[in-house]
Amino acid sequence: MSEVSDATPQQQVADMIEDGKAQQATVAVREPRVRRLNIIGRRNWFFLLSLVIIIPGIVSMWHNHFLLGIDFAGGTEFTVTFADKPDLATVERAVAAENANGSVIQTANGGYIIRYPPLGAAQQTNIQTDLQNRLGAMNVQQILEVGGTIAGETIFYSILAVVIASIAILALLAIRFRNVPGGWRAGFQFGGSALAALLHDVFVLTGVFSILGTVFNSRLGQIDAFFVTAVLTVVGFSVHDTIVVFDRIRENLRVSQRLSFEQVVNLSIMQTAARSIITSFTVVLVLAAIFIAGGATLQGLALALLIGIISGTYSSIFNAAPLLVVWRRLQPLR
Amino acid sequence: MQLVLSWPIRLFVVAVLVFSLFVDGAGYVYRFANHYPLQGNVPGLPPNFGGWQLYFHKGLDLAGGTHIDYSLTNFPAGQSRADVQQRTISVINKRVNALNVSEPEIRGAGSNYDRITVDLAGVNAAQAQKTIGAVSKLVYTKWVADAKATGGPQPGYKPAFTGLTGDDIQSASAAIDSTGTSWVVNVSFTSGGGTRFDQLTTANVNACPGDPGTSQTANCPQRHLAIWLDLTQKDIDNWEDPSYVAKVSQPYDPGCLAAQTADTVCGKFLTDPITLTEIAGGNATISGAFTQQSAQDLATGINSGSLPVDLVALDVTQVSATLGAESVKLSLAAGLLGLAIVVLFMIIYYRMPGLLASLALLFYAGAVLAVFKVVPVTLTLAGITGFILSVGMAVDANVLIFERFKEEVRAGRTITAAVDAAVRRAWPAIRDSNTSTFITCVILGFVGPSVVKGFAITLAIGVLASLVSSIVVTHNLLAIVLTGSSFRRPALLGVDRVRSV
Repeated sequence: MSEVSDATPQQQVADMIEDGKAQQATVAVREPRVRRLNIIGRRNWFFLLSLVIIIPGIVSMWHNHFLLGIDFAGGTEFTVTFADKPDLATVERAVAAENANGSVIQTANGGYIIRYPPLGAAQQTNIQTDLQNRLGAMNVQQILEVGGTIAGETIFYSILAVVIASIAILALLAIRFRNVPGGWRAGFQFGGSALAALLHDVFVLTGVFSILGTVFNSRLGQIDAFFVTAVLTVVGFSVHDTIVVFDRIRENLRVSQRLSFEQVVNLSIMQTAARSIITSFTVVLVLAAIFIAGGATLQGLALALLIGIISGTYSSIFNAAPLLVVWRRLQPLR
Repeated sequence: MQLVLSWPIRLFVVAVLVFSLFVDGAGYVYRFANHYPLQGNVPGLPPNFGGWQLYFHKGLDLAGGTHIDYSLTNFPAGQSRADVQQRTISVINKRVNALNVSEPEIRGAGSNYDRITVDLAGVNAAQAQKTIGAVSKLVYTKWVADAKATGGPQPGYKPAFTGLTGDDIQSASAAIDSTGTSWVVNVSFTSGGGTRFDQLTTANVNACPGDPGTSQTANCPQRHLAIWLDLTQKDIDNWEDPSYVAKVSQPYDPGCLAAQTADTVCGKFLTDPITLTEIAGGNATISGAFTQQSAQDLATGINSGSLPVDLVALDVTQVSATLGAESVKLSLAAGLLGLAIVVLFMIIYYRMPGLLASLALLFYAGAVLAVFKVVPVTLTLAGITGFILSVGMAVDANVLIFERFKEEVRAGRTITAAVDAAVRRAWPAIRDSNTSTFITCVILGFVGPSVVKGFAITLAIGVLASLVSSIVVTHNLLAIVLTGSSFRRPALLGVDRVRSV
């Protein structure tokens, strides 16, 4: 990796004199231990890496769609354990023999999730009796029944929430960054780049889940209301990281006027990378704890957040700020 | 940043700390002393402010129980939909009271007053649906000739509404009839209903006068007054379809009626007695093939009032109490594990500032849990996840400040100046990023599907509390500790090199 030659220690001292805050600017400043990587110069490689992850995801979403959870697909789902502990094949045979279009999934603790098309209350009771007759005493842990109307509404409101949140964040950033040189247009460049990074994370997350659910057929890749929660949290987090970088760019633009825009952006990324990685690392630790200890219900949510937050950290460092540079080149403000 | 270090702010922090410790600890001594369970609503729990008790309110996925979303259809014409929804809620409330559920939650929802959600802890789905949807509207019909109607209790005739329904009944009670052998339901009509009933029975008798016991002609279908449950116009419109009529004319089936959808056809027939004489005075007896239980169920149903609308269950969720307890245990474990990992990491990586940030984090966790108790926030699995996640986010502001602090020290500032500069310069990023998360939470809370709302609420509370803990508490602790010169050692502060003041 090449070094950025312009931001020498002397340069930093000069910045501090301009800043007027340091008391003894003549103090020799040691070269920071962080290696100066030229991220902006290699931006196309980073964009390429993102595309390599996103494109298969989009193909999978287009072609295979998703593995829908009960709250999106609609239906009735029983979570049960049997006293006789029958194996999966036995349960599958019994459910198939009912001719009620049931399907069986084994859970981690030896129980089963049996899913049917939406049943009424009376049919629910019938099915339960029938299962007991076929497989012996049964302990029902959970029954979920979701009709088609609710499923449709959940999908609608989920998408609506993502769209509204995106618009609100774009507006917030445009307002916050309108005071950088260039005014409102600059504000929209900042907001737009942050929004692009945010959509990047949403596509990475939904794409990976589409592949997990449909190609690998894993229950972890199931799309349900928890997944929507994860997407929106990732949206918030991704913007969190991006704002920290952008805020530093804003500050450095004021302080170091001799540097080119690219150099300011690169410097800002280097200065904030440690914080972004450390914060994400602590959150990743917490999520790993939830993933391991939180039980089956929370595993999908924890996995989605893990993927989204790692992607969010990546995109804030390697996509958002480089995109800002690209945008600035296409639409110079001065 | 002088404001943050001022004494009113410090006083505020101490007050919040004392308050949250009080709230968090409230009740546990009492619970221990009286051998009550450590969670949930227990009788006489102090502090008790007029029935408003401090304890963690658990959602259905943690406590176990049933959640149902009902859609309201067939609104009566000419009445305010909001009123109708309110009336339906109060009827459901009365019915649910019979189940003796602690804190049943029955809320109106829907953009057009067309939804009601019901949360019942500790009740299974079948029982809940049977109670709520049970014995709906009592309908009196007379018979009119229809040559194409071949089935039903009176072939050649179809029923017609008389305008008399269960709403015209003042009260009902189950009783044993005068012969002492079978169960009946005695009803007394409201004054309007009594008059109407009088008119109907008079018309009955006049349709074919005579003594039905002796005269064949006196027993004409028009002299009968049939009683149904929930009979609708749609049912009457289908009267010429023999298979449909055969189903509707079955004895009423409470289980089927409670769970009916638009497509099911349930038995709705109660009785079709002949009117012997005009009945004035507003009292009548419904006889049929009742058992004690079914007579009492019918009387309870009539008394709690009929639902002004039809209810269709859109979704039903039932969680067993064991699964709920399991979820509580797992999420507690995940939360504690997460907290421990974050604290360990912060102390190892940032040394003394990390330790102070961890103390602030404990303050934060205590304050948020107190808010959950006081508001009270109903805790669900998703909500607890939001809280655990916010622990991770709470350290973010600290990490920002500490990283900046290292930079400022490296750039040659004194410790005190560096702390001040770090907090001041990290603030815009902290403010903007937390604002964006908060906005996301608010949008989720208003727009998101209901499962997501609990998550949004706890995360939003977490974000607000983390701002206070990371900016105010950590900064104050740091300022206090750093007045001692022995603490200003590079090894303790995790920086490369420190200039003396």
